[in-house]
Amino acid sequence: MPVSVDDRCLRLTGEGGDAGVLLGMRCSGCGVVVFGPATFCQSCTAPDLAEVELGAAGVLYSYTIVRVPPAGWPGAVPYVLGEVELPEGPHVLAEVIDCEHGDLTIGMPVSLALQAVAMDGGAETERVVYKWRPA
Amino acid sequence: MTQFRAGREVMVVGVGLHPFGRFPEQSLSDLARDAVVEALRDSGIPWSAIPIAYFGHVYYHGMSVGETTLAQLGLTGVPIINVENACSSGSTAFWQAYWGITSGVFDAALAFGAEKVPGGPVTVTAENSPARYIGGDHMMAGYALRMTRYMSETGAPASALAQVTVKARQNAALNPYAHRKETYSVEDVLNSRLIADPLTLYQCCPTSEGAAAAVLCAADALDSFGVDRSRAIRIAAASLTSGSYNGRGSDHSAFSPYRTEPAGLQAYEMAGIGPEDVDIVQVHDAATIGELQQVEALHLLPYGEAWQATMEGRTSLTGDIPVNTDGGLLAMGHPFGASGIRMVHETVTQLRGEAGARQVDNPRVGVAQCSGAGDVTTVHILTK
Repeated sequence: MPVSVDDRCLRLTGEGGDAGVLLGMRCSGCGVVVFGPATFCQSCTAPDLAEVELGAAGVLYSYTIVRVPPAGWPGAVPYVLGEVELPEGPHVLAEVIDCEHGDLTIGMPVSLALQAVAMDGGAETERVVYKWRPA
Repeated sequence: MTQFRAGREVMVVGVGLHPFGRFPEQSLSDLARDAVVEALRDSGIPWSAIPIAYFGHVYYHGMSVGETTLAQLGLTGVPIINVENACSSGSTAFWQAYWGITSGVFDAALAFGAEKVPGGPVTVTAENSPARYIGGDHMMAGYALRMTRYMSETGAPASALAQVTVKARQNAALNPYAHRKETYSVEDVLNSRLIADPLTLYQCCPTSEGAAAAVLCAADALDSFGVDRSRAIRIAAASLTSGSYNGRGSDHSAFSPYRTEPAGLQAYEMAGIGPEDVDIVQVHDAATIGELQQVEALHLLPYGEAWQATMEGRTSLTGDIPVNTDGGLLAMGHPFGASGIRMVHETVTQLRGEAGARQVDNPRVGVAQCSGAGDVTTVHILTK
C-alpha cells in the first residue's frame, strides 16, 4: 500500500500511488488558502479553517538546478527544484521532472506528478512524493 | 508589528573576535572564550562586574554551552541565557542584551556567539522531516530561486552578482580575522563550480567556525564601570522581526528578502534617522544575491539597482555606501552564532576609526542587518 510523503499535504486517491491531490487549508474568516496543514490562519490568525483540495496545475515562479544536494537527498543529481504558484494562491516547492534544463522559464505551466521515492533504508522507507512536470 | 519603546541610552564599549576559519583542535567553548576575553579587555570591564550574558549558537554541543564557556572565566552566579535564532542567533543575543539594559534592568551585559558549522549544504529541518524527500530544504537553493527572479526582473548580468564576491574578497584581504582572504576576478567567481544554478561556489558563503563578543553598557553607567567614553559607540536602534504572511510561504521574490524592509524602517524610526544618513553597512550576504537584496530592502539603493551600484564601485570601501567592509559572510565565513555580533564588531571598529587598511573615511552611522531561517531579521544602527 503506497504511503504519502506527508498525508497533510498530499492525499493519495488510488491504490497504485500514481493518483493523488494536494491539500490546503482555507480560512473561513479572510479566505486565504495555505498549502499543507494549519490550525490557525497564517494571515489573520482565525481558528476556523477548512481543508481544500488544490488543483493539479500551476506556473513556475522560480527554479534552480541543484548540483550539490542536501544531505539525505534520495534522488538523482543534478535535479531541478521549482517553486510553483497555484491559482489558489500558495506556492509549492518540489522537484521538476521530465524537463530539459534549457527549456525552463519563469511562468511556464506545470502539472502535478507523483513518484515513489525510497531512502537508503529500502522498501519500508518508500513514500509517494509530489513533483512537477512541464504541462 | 511590535513597537519597541527604548529607555535609556546604551553603548557598545568592547568588541572581540576569534578568527573565522576551521579550527579542528579547538572546542566551541575555546573559540567563544577567546572572543569574550578580547571583548572584556577592550571594554575595560572585568567579567566579575558583568551582570548578565547572552550566548548565540545553533548546532548542538551539549547543554548550557554559554554557562560552561563562561565558567572558564570564573563562576559569578549571574544569569546566562543560551539563544537559538538560526543565522541571527548572535545578533538576537546582542538585541536581548540591548533591551536588558535600555529597559533599566541591567547596567551592562555581555553578548557573545560561536559556531562550528559542519561542511556541505545547510538544511533547516530535522533529519526525519518529509522535506528530505522533497529536496527543497537547501539554503543555497533558496538563494538561487531568489537570484533567478532578481536577474529576470532587473536584467542584472551574472558578472554583477560575481562582483559582490570580488569586492568581498578584496575587503577580506585587508582583514586578518577572515576565513577566505584570496582575491578573485569576476571570471574566477563565474568559473567556480555550480552549486545551484546560477549560484557558483564562490558566490556562497563558506561554512565556518568562529566566535564574536560584545560588551554593552548603559550610557549613564559608563563612569561607574570606568569605561573610556571616547571609544564607546552608541546603539541608536535595535530591531528584531519574525515572518509575516506574504501569500507565498518562504519568500523567494526579487525584492522582499526575509523581513529586512520592515525591520529596517522600524530601526530608522527608532534612531530618528533615514537611509540617507547611513555611512557604512553590514548585511546578510550568505550568497551574492543576498547582499543586493538586503541593501535595497534597507532603502540604501533603489529596488533593482544595487547590481549597477556594485559594478560602479559604489559599495566598495571607497564608494559612497560601503557594504560588508570586513568581507561579509562571503569572505569572513558564516559561523551562525557569531556572524551577527561580527557585524557589530566591524561597525564599531569602523566607527572608532580603528579598521586599519580597510578603514572607511570617517563614518559616523553604521547599519548591521542579519537574517535567519524563520524569516528572522535583526537591524541594529550604531552611531559615533
